[in-house]
Amino acid sequence: MDDGRGIAYVSRVAPAQFQVDVVANRPLSGGYFVLELRSQAPNPVAEAVPGQFVMLRGEWGRDLLNGRAFSVLQAFDSRTFSVLLKVFGRGTALMQQLQPGDRMTVTGPLGRGFKAPNPERKQLLVAGGVGLPPLHLQARTAAATGQAAAVELFYGGRTAADLVLTEDLEAWGIETVLATDDGTRGVQGRVTEPLGARLDRAAASGEAVEILSCGPTPMLRAVRAIGLAHGVPTYLCLEEMMACGFGVCLGCAVPVYGDKPYKYCCTDGPVFEASEVRW
Amino acid sequence: MSHAEPFAAPITADQVDLSCAFGPLRLRTPILTASGCFAYGQQFADFMDLRQIGGLSTKGISPEPRHGNPLPRIFETAAGMLNSIGLENVGAQAFLSEKLPFLAELDVSVWVNFFGVDFQTYVECAKTLSEGSREAYPNGGGIDVLEMNISCPNIKKGGIEFGTVPEVAHRLTKACVEVCELPIVVKLTPNTSDVVAMADAVKQAGAAGVSLINTITGMAVDVRTRRSRIATTYGGLSGPAIKPVALRMVHQVAQALPGFPICGMGGILSGEDALEFLIAGAHCVQAGTINFSEPSAALRITAELRALMAQLGIRSVADAVAILEPFPPEPPFSATGPGSR
Repeated sequence: MDDGRGIAYVSRVAPAQFQVDVVANRPLSGGYFVLELRSQAPNPVAEAVPGQFVMLRGEWGRDLLNGRAFSVLQAFDSRTFSVLLKVFGRGTALMQQLQPGDRMTVTGPLGRGFKAPNPERKQLLVAGGVGLPPLHLQARTAAATGQAAAVELFYGGRTAADLVLTEDLEAWGIETVLATDDGTRGVQGRVTEPLGARLDRAAASGEAVEILSCGPTPMLRAVRAIGLAHGVPTYLCLEEMMACGFGVCLGCAVPVYGDKPYKYCCTDGPVFEASEVRW
Repeated sequence: MSHAEPFAAPITADQVDLSCAFGPLRLRTPILTASGCFAYGQQFADFMDLRQIGGLSTKGISPEPRHGNPLPRIFETAAGMLNSIGLENVGAQAFLSEKLPFLAELDVSVWVNFFGVDFQTYVECAKTLSEGSREAYPNGGGIDVLEMNISCPNIKKGGIEFGTVPEVAHRLTKACVEVCELPIVVKLTPNTSDVVAMADAVKQAGAAGVSLINTITGMAVDVRTRRSRIATTYGGLSGPAIKPVALRMVHQVAQALPGFPICGMGGILSGEDALEFLIAGAHCVQAGTINFSEPSAALRITAELRALMAQLGIRSVADAVAILEPFPPEPPFSATGPGSR
């Protein structure tokens, strides 16, 4: 479905709620871990596009009431997909303890994702921290459709251990610029610095580019400012506190310009045009 | 402590009759979904057959559309969550033209929650909704109940008084009842010192019943930023954390006003939770916060209630309402017991 903003590029897949088993809980560096989840019957998450997300809950009673939102990292087949996590609070701390065979409840796929890679306009993917999954999946999609050259990844973290799954990007032949605050891997400094230099180059050569970004809010604010300053189409995958994920609780308001002061991260997003966001 | 006798021998689930009455209204089941937790219903069609629920209460409708509050608007707390959404809604006219047709199709009890920003707009909203529904559905089947929200903390002018001063609530209810044909159920706030006085005041004014309870005002603090977790500082607490307070208030009103229809709500997650409310005196219940994490919860709760009633030998909902047993009296205390000399 194209709503005129050129963002969502598939027809809406009806979300479902279903049970999964934890197939694997794979620790990565920097406290990151990947949960691989499988349902008994096929589930609609395999249809998710980069940026779409699922709500996850474990079987831990109702002290923790609501699900937690995670972007889809990879859909292996019609029953199995994975998400990337890091411990931030009580929910993710419990998820880190999950073992193969443990049960979870999934709601999804939810939201509208990024536009597909296309040969007309080079996509500069800008990722930070747990914001990697949508862009990792976008790069995977590009590689799988023979368009690895249609995307470039800019990936930043505080230190080398925060940069995970980079071996995938190498294997897919995705041009990647890494940046760490402490210089332990890639260029030293914020990922927005090499991004800015890249945009200058594109402007000088008249190359058509656009930015797709997901990461911590301070990074997204910086990416938004750079994208607007360069006059480059910029799409941000946002994260807000949400209870439901499907447009009912109205908790995940995103301040925007336009007809109404707020849109909703879960149903209007999570991908928004940077110029639309009222930051 | 002695145990109360079981009601009767267990029966089978299909011997349980879940249809019930709420004053003059007939409900297919006593399990409805609560305002603010069910939007205008459509989103839930992806997750369940909406025709199976007893009914639903919509997001609160005001005469004019409203945009919500700044964020953060929600924060999860122990066994509950705080929210301050700000009564965002599409407004009465858009509700009637865009949302009601979908709900009317479902053939379930449609409760439309509404509010105004002052006395006049409350009355205007009740009138608009009542007349709009009658025009579109002259033979019935549109809105079944107007659920009047006099308990939202986010209304500026006199909002607190509507929900906490019995005389004011009486006057407002009476004015709304006089301008509309639909039954008005008043949703009361727990943030008051005397919920029974409030229930009595709206009953005398012609309310068809009360919904108990709305959220309890609360707060959480982020010690690192030294900010409230909610942009408007305070939010409404919902979820299992508030169930004991809700049950107590339902019971108090049921005791004081026997037979007056009460719709109970507050942290209902299971069939057993629902039955607790019925036993305490509610005629039907609404499930709220659970819909966020389990969008088909109302049907699971209904199935659990049916199974539990069968196990306890309760044949109908009416047989379960307001049947709280007193404890047997203790033998009087004395210095010597029966065995001593």
